[in-house]
Amino acid sequence: MKTSREHPSMVDGEVIGNVEVSPNHFRLTLRLPGTFSTPSPGQFVMIRDLERREPLLPRPLSVYGFHREGGYAILVLLYRVAGLGTSLFSRLRSKAFLNVLGPLGRGFSVDCDVRRVILVAGGVGVAPLTFLLREGYSQTNASGKTQTTAYVGARTAELLTGLDRLESFCDLRIATNDGSAGHQGLVTDLVRSDLNGCNPEETFIYGCGPAAMIRSLGLLVRKTAIRCEVSIEERMACGIGACLGCAVAITDGKGLSDYQRVCKEGPVFNILDISPVFFSNE
Amino acid sequence: MKLDKCAINPVGLAVRIGGLQLKNPVMTASGTFGYGQEFAPFCDLKRLGAIVLKGLSLEPRPGNPSPRIMETPCGMLNAVGLQNIGVRAFIAEKMPYLRQIDVAVIANIFGETVDEYRRIAEILSHVDGVDGIEVNISCPNVKKGGIAFGANPDVAADITQKVRGETDLPMIVKLTPNVTDITEIAMAVEAAGADAVSLINTLTGMSVDIERRRPHLANITGGLSGPAVKPVALRMVWQAVHSLKIPVIGIGGISTADDALEFLIAGATAIEIGTANFINPSVTMKVIDGIEEYMTRHGIGRIDELIGSLITDPQQ
Ligand SMILES: Cc1cc2nc3c(=O)[nH]c(=O)nc-3n(C[C@H](O)[C@H](O)[C@H](O)COP(=O)(O)OP(=O)(O)OC[C@H]3O[C@@H](n4cnc5c(N)ncnc54)[C@H](O)[C@@H]3O)c2cc1C
Ligand SMILES: Cc1cc2nc3c(=O)[nH]c(=O)nc-3n(C[C@H](O)[C@H](O)[C@H](O)COP(=O)(O)O)c2cc1C
Ligand code: FES
Repeated sequence: MKTSREHPSMVDGEVIGNVEVSPNHFRLTLRLPGTFSTPSPGQFVMIRDLERREPLLPRPLSVYGFHREGGYAILVLLYRVAGLGTSLFSRLRSKAFLNVLGPLGRGFSVDCDVRRVILVAGGVGVAPLTFLLREGYSQTNASGKTQTTAYVGARTAELLTGLDRLESFCDLRIATNDGSAGHQGLVTDLVRSDLNGCNPEETFIYGCGPAAMIRSLGLLVRKTAIRCEVSIEERMACGIGACLGCAVAITDGKGLSDYQRVCKEGPVFNILDISPVFFSNE
Repeated sequence: MKLDKCAINPVGLAVRIGGLQLKNPVMTASGTFGYGQEFAPFCDLKRLGAIVLKGLSLEPRPGNPSPRIMETPCGMLNAVGLQNIGVRAFIAEKMPYLRQIDVAVIANIFGETVDEYRRIAEILSHVDGVDGIEVNISCPNVKKGGIAFGANPDVAADITQKVRGETDLPMIVKLTPNVTDITEIAMAVEAAGADAVSLINTLTGMSVDIERRRPHLANITGGLSGPAVKPVALRMVWQAVHSLKIPVIGIGGISTADDALEFLIAGATAIEIGTANFINPSVTMKVIDGIEEYMTRHGIGRIDELIGSLITDPQQ
């Protein structure tokens, strides 16, 4: 069962922190009214500065952390500066306000009977997976019932982000393309070497990262019976299922069968359901 | 709360489109408001003048591959490809919800052939809860090499006539701006029996990713909408108003009450809000409040006094 959706709302969020945690990567903390629904792991929010004319459309960001404090909801996001929208976010200082729409989409399934949890993240893909680990598996991890390994990849060591919040909760394995930290090569190579000996029944893989990473992960998983859910990205306009802009091709295994909305049926999908078409424009 | 507000602020916002009385002139634009339900957490749907639904075809359509959207300066391009669940699934799955809400529901329809338009209109005109039909003639006519139906006055009139023959529901014909002379098409559909026209649909556009030397949209071209198109839309609405007797519904880049007022003053009887719903899902409520506030501030009792009140004579 996927985690259920609560009611989304649109609120003003006050910036209470916006820290550059690694080059071009920021951790943004927003204080929202207490009425904001509690997001489940894998859900996202749409963020916009309503005072600005540009960019026009809000930007989707996954929930990285969430808690309640003194009647407020505290929302934490982790983002990479990718273009105009995120670069404007990076210049925000404390006391600035942003418009927050959420929580949106369908998150990860959490299965408490699982014994082995494998997280596979590329770059800022750590954001939803960190929240998943904390919200979904921290208790079973603490009691020793589940054992979690996080595999995190980036192009170079300095682009590795958000490791601090993962480290304390799980076993961490690193891969960089240039070998400047951890294994030299793809993060999925590391995963492959560790999958041997996993009991498919008791294992759950969660992934988030660039399409190329999701594709290799898909090829790996396809040969096993291990459950695997991934959070994927597509350009969005509304975030609430109305514009049909965020379509992802979903397959029944025989060919293209349907387009689904990343913002509504996703952003989390069973990796085997995603059509190879999704990866073709990378 | 809301009742009190009406009591102290009795401006008359009601407008009439053919036989259809709307509570106010603020409608939603097709394809930007889903089937209404998506916006229920953000809008009091029954306050809307009307909900115009996502375009419906006879059979379900999968739509185009991704990427389907791209932001452009003050606007966006979309190539959703008229994805929809088809008219029958719409009636079975979406109408029960819409029937419960006290709001005018306008079904937007399109076809790949003229006959398909006629058949959808025939089906919808017997559906309880559908209060009007908006006919989208901007889509490509597959049989005529993909040129939009609405680019040719004879074809536009033919569709209008065929749909008219099937339904007594108020019929709005939605015009494409991708033509040389909008008034020619507008007059043709008026003569063929349309109760109103709405305009504009999106302007065809394109955007290129220079690093990858590829189009940003999988479909290569897409429809431009949002604030960027507003001046073009306003000009076309004004031209249409001056060549027609039937009501004109203004669409294009409306994001605020001020934008809506520009269209009303230029002569639009009602307006539709599209892309702005993506930026703020409660924008329609703000626009209704803003129009009301403007009328109170200017001592305008009934919206009819405002519609078409544009002063173009420099001596006045
Ligand atoms: C459900 C979801 C969750 C996301 N979570 C995070 C997150 O937690 N942290 C994070 O850093 N980023 C996340 N993203 C990606 C983020 O939304 C984009 O990087 C951002 O929208 C880019 O906006 P911009 O204005 O800075 O760049 P733009 O100038 O708009 O684009 C810069 C580049 O980013 C690409 N891009 C634009 N929009 C998107 C998009 N919606 N998804 C992916 N790529 C896009 C463009 O194709 C272009 O190559 C998420 C995306 C989705 C769909
Ligand atoms: C994502 C999207 C989907 C649309 N789908 C339809 C549609 O199905 N039928 C239709 O007649 N117009 C459709 N339109 C056009 C809008 O209804 C409207 O005419 C246009 O976007 C201009 O208004 P705006 O600038 O307020 O968005 C669509 C527009 C967008 C942005
Ligand atoms: S972003 Fe609009 S439907 Fe998903």
